[in-house]
Amino acid sequence: MRASMTASLTLLLASMAAVLPAAAATYRVDDSATLPVESTALLRWRQAAPSRTRDDTLEGATAVAVRLNLAPWVEQTARLYLVLPAQGTAAVRVSWLTQGRLLPGEISPGERVLIYQGPIASPFLEETLTLRIEADGSRLPGTERLQFHFEIDTD
Amino acid sequence: MIVRAVTGRARAAALAVSLVAIGAYTSTAGAFTVNITAANPRVIYLQVGVGSFNGIYNSGGTPANNPTVNVVSVTVPAAQVGSGTAQTMTTNSTASISYYDNYVFCSAPAQLYVGGFYRSTSNTGAASLRATSPANLVNTAGDRIPFTQISWTSSGNGDSGAQPFPAGTFAGGTQTIGTIARNQWAESCHTFRYANSGFVASGTYRGRVVYTLSTP
Repeated sequence: MRASMTASLTLLLASMAAVLPAAAATYRVDDSATLPVESTALLRWRQAAPSRTRDDTLEGATAVAVRLNLAPWVEQTARLYLVLPAQGTAAVRVSWLTQGRLLPGEISPGERVLIYQGPIASPFLEETLTLRIEADGSRLPGTERLQFHFEIDTD
Repeated sequence: MIVRAVTGRARAAALAVSLVAIGAYTSTAGAFTVNITAANPRVIYLQVGVGSFNGIYNSGGTPANNPTVNVVSVTVPAAQVGSGTAQTMTTNSTASISYYDNYVFCSAPAQLYVGGFYRSTSNTGAASLRATSPANLVNTAGDRIPFTQISWTSSGNGDSGAQPFPAGTFAGGTQTIGTIARNQWAESCHTFRYANSGFVASGTYRGRVVYTLSTP
């Protein structure tokens, strides 16, 4: 009986493998070597004085030295995403420019934005993101932490 | 960590494959944190009479310091001294436009511009504008006129509602002139008058009022 069940299981997995796409999935990328250039980004009022349009935006910029460990996906085609989970109380919008290895874009808490699509050629990807941060100045009484991470979708 | 897979029985298999892969790398996966904080969480600007602004605020202007102390005065004709007929005062201020939007808001020199703004990231209340006046105006001989003899009306070109800094009378002490709500600009134009209800000796009577804008 035992031999019979084992044989059946093996057979099932073999048949599944035949119909599956090549392990399409999403993984969190090891970005532990990624570091912001400054510990805290100082935001300033976009308009020194209040306006009739009630522009209470605070804005500032900082840079992040990105180093991603993509070793598990070398020689695969994949899509990389920057993720900013929902967090904090202030309305925040972050846009960024790159040096060309990753795509520029913008993101708000709760969003996931494509920053690369194509073959993974090397085990490490290094890039500098220049972040421009806008926050609602009427709702930012203290320091707020924006926690980003990267995800990869493989085909 | 997110696992996406196809449907049905195939999903279970894809899940198994993905979990194996994730198990190998989650131990090193991190996240980077960017802390954000306001560099200047509270900003106030107060202008009484002549002030300075680098440009107009809605064109990116910023407040500047101006040490000018304006004078509000009236010369009462001898025949009118103590008559009880109020004497309208005038100023030496040239501040007619509002740095809010470059609008001609006050009629200088008849009116004195009083305005400012309060910026804050914390919802802890409004900024308060107070005026501190001495008990009396005094001439060189030591004669006195109570500061309570001076009052003001409040208006602004094109304004139709209540003024943020309404009409009042100096108290000969510290008094609240008005408030500025958080992240708002407030302004009024004050026209002063001397009540002229007491017979006083001739001379030039002086007294200084200091306006102070305080944040909570």
